Amino acid sequence: MSVKRYFKLLGIYAKMDLASLMRDRKFMAIVMLADLVSNVSSISGVFLLAWKFGGIGGMGRFEVLFMLAYGNIVMGFLNMMGGCNALFPSRIIGRGQWEHMFIMPLPYTVQLTVGIFPFTGSGTFLSGIALLFVALSNMDVVLPWWWPGALILQLAVSMVIVVALSYLFSSLAFYAPVQCEEISSTVIYSVERTMTFPLSGMPVYVRYPLLTIFPAGLTAWFPTVVLFGKTAGFECFYSVLFAALTAFTAAHFFKKGFRYYVKKGINRYVSGGHRS
Amino acid sequence: MSQADTVPEQIAVKVDSVSKAFVQWQRKEGIRGLLKQEKKVVNALDDVSFQIEKGEFVAYAGPNGAGKSTTMKLLSGMLQPTGGTISVLGMSPEKDRIPLMKRVGVLFGNRTELWWDHPVIQSFEWKKVVWDIPDSVYRRNLERMIELLDIGGIINTFARELSLGQRMRADLAMMLLHSPELILLDEPTLGLDVVAKRQMIDFLKKINLESGVTILVTSHDMDDLEEMARRILMISQGKLAYDGDFDGLRNLTGNLTVFRVTTDGGRPRLEGCRLLGEEHGVFEFEADLSQISVSVLLERLSRTDGIRDVEIRKAPVEQVIAQLYESWRSV
Repeated sequence: MSVKRYFKLLGIYAKMDLASLMRDRKFMAIVMLADLVSNVSSISGVFLLAWKFGGIGGMGRFEVLFMLAYGNIVMGFLNMMGGCNALFPSRIIGRGQWEHMFIMPLPYTVQLTVGIFPFTGSGTFLSGIALLFVALSNMDVVLPWWWPGALILQLAVSMVIVVALSYLFSSLAFYAPVQCEEISSTVIYSVERTMTFPLSGMPVYVRYPLLTIFPAGLTAWFPTVVLFGKTAGFECFYSVLFAALTAFTAAHFFKKGFRYYVKKGINRYVSGGHRS
Repeated sequence: MSQADTVPEQIAVKVDSVSKAFVQWQRKEGIRGLLKQEKKVVNALDDVSFQIEKGEFVAYAGPNGAGKSTTMKLLSGMLQPTGGTISVLGMSPEKDRIPLMKRVGVLFGNRTELWWDHPVIQSFEWKKVVWDIPDSVYRRNLERMIELLDIGGIINTFARELSLGQRMRADLAMMLLHSPELILLDEPTLGLDVVAKRQMIDFLKKINLESGVTILVTSHDMDDLEEMARRILMISQGKLAYDGDFDGLRNLTGNLTVFRVTTDGGRPRLEGCRLLGEEHGVFEFEADLSQISVSVLLERLSRTDGIRDVEIRKAPVEQVIAQLYESWRSV
C-alpha cells in the first residue's frame, strides 16, 4: 500500500471524527472540558504528593511531573490512534466486529491503524505534551542535542509494550470471545493506573515485577530515569529488548488465535462465540 | 497452482465437497452436568458441492440451522471449511481476501455496514476511500443507486435515525458502490414491510438482469425467493437436498395444486384431495396432480351440486417447502 493511500485512509477517519465533534457545539465543549478535567485529575494525586514531599524516592517534583506527562503522551497517543477499538482488540473479537473487517479490502494491520480519532481522542495526548513542556522548563538540566530523538524512541518503545500487552492478552478472546471481550481493557486500564507510580526507591520485589511480569514500569517510570541518565550501561537498552520480545510474542499468539478463530468457527453456534 | 486458479471464467462460485463442523458444549441436568460438560460436533455443512455461473440469480434456502449463514460466511472468507475447497470468482476466499472483496459485495440483513453515527452519504464516502473506488465509478453508481433505490431523501440522514426499510436500502446501495460482480445476501428481506420488500426484490432483479450481477440470496420467505431467483439450492441438516428450478421443487412433493371451490354451503366430496380449510362456503383443497389428473377432478366437481366458482392454482412454494421440511425432519 502506498503512503498516499494510507494517508487518504487516515484522512477519511479524521474527517469523520471532526464531523462527530462538530455535530453539536455544546457537545464539543463538554467533551473537551471533560477530557481536561479527567487528564488533570488522573495525575494530580501523585504530583501533589511529590510537591508536598519535595519529590518521591529520589525523583524531583518536576521529574515526577515529566513521568506523569510521559505516561499521558503514551496512553493519549494510543487512544487517539486506536480509536476504532484497535487498542482493545478483544472487544472487536467479542463483539463480532471482525466480521466487518473480513469484507474490507484492506490488510488487517492497516484497518487497525487507520481508525484514528484525532479530535475527540486527542485530549490526553495534548495535555501530556503541555505538561511535558511545563516539567522540562522547570527542571535544571541541560539536554544534549540527541535527547529529543531518545525521547521519541522511548515513547515508541513504551507504546509498543502497551500495544503488545493488549494484543497478547486479547489473543485469548479468539478462543472465548464473550468471556474475554474486555480483557484488553482490563490490561490497558491496569497499565494506565500503575504507570503513574514512581518506582524509584521502591524495594526490588515491587520494582522488578513491574519491569518484567507486568511491565507498567516500562511505560513511564523507567523511560524517565533512562532519559535523565539515572541508569547505567546496558540498562538503557532493556526496554527496547523487552518491547521487541513482547511484540514478537504477541504477534505469534495473536496470529495463532486468529487462525483458530476462522478455522474452528466464529459465530453463535460456538460456545462463548461472539455476541451478534 | 491451487484449485481456485483452475476454475473456468464463467463460474462465479464453486463449492466442492465442503464440510464445516462446529463443536458445541452440551450441559446436562444435575450437578454432574454442571461439573462435566460434553462436547458435541455439529456438522453445519456436510460434503456440499455446487456451482453458480456468472449472471445467475440463485436462492439459497433451508430450515433454521440448516447451514445457510455458514455457507455465506465461508464464501466471504469469514470462516474456513473443515474440508473441501471453495472458489469465488476464481479466487480462494481464504488466501485472496483482499482482491476478492474488491469484486464481491456482502450484506447480512441482521447487520449494517453503515456508520451508525454519521449520515448515509458519509458512509458512502468512507466506502469510496476504503475500497479505492475511482471518482467516475463512484459518482455513476451513487446516482444510479439514488434513483433505483429511491434514497435521495435519506442520504443526509444519520444511519441510526433510519427505519429498517430505509436502512436496508442504504446498505444495499453502499454494498453496490464498488460495482461488485457477485453479491452475497443473507436474509435481506428480514423484517421489511410489504413496500420495502417490493422495492428490494424489484431492485435485485433489475441489477441482475441489466448489469449481469451474480446474486446468491438466502431468505426464509420462499415466495420472495421464487419471485427473485430462477434456481434454488436447498440445504437440510448440512446437506444439499435440492438444486434446480422452483417447478422441479414442486414436483418433489408431487405436483401440488390448490383448488378453491365456492359453494352454496355444502362441502364438495373430492376424493384424493386434502381439505386445507373452509370459510363461509369457500373450501380449499390440495391435490397432487401426479396422482390424480385435472380432468378427473373437474369431472368429480361437476357432479357436485351448488358449486358457484372454482379456482385452480399451483400450491404456494411456502406450502411445498413446509411439506419438504416436514419430510426431512422425519427422515
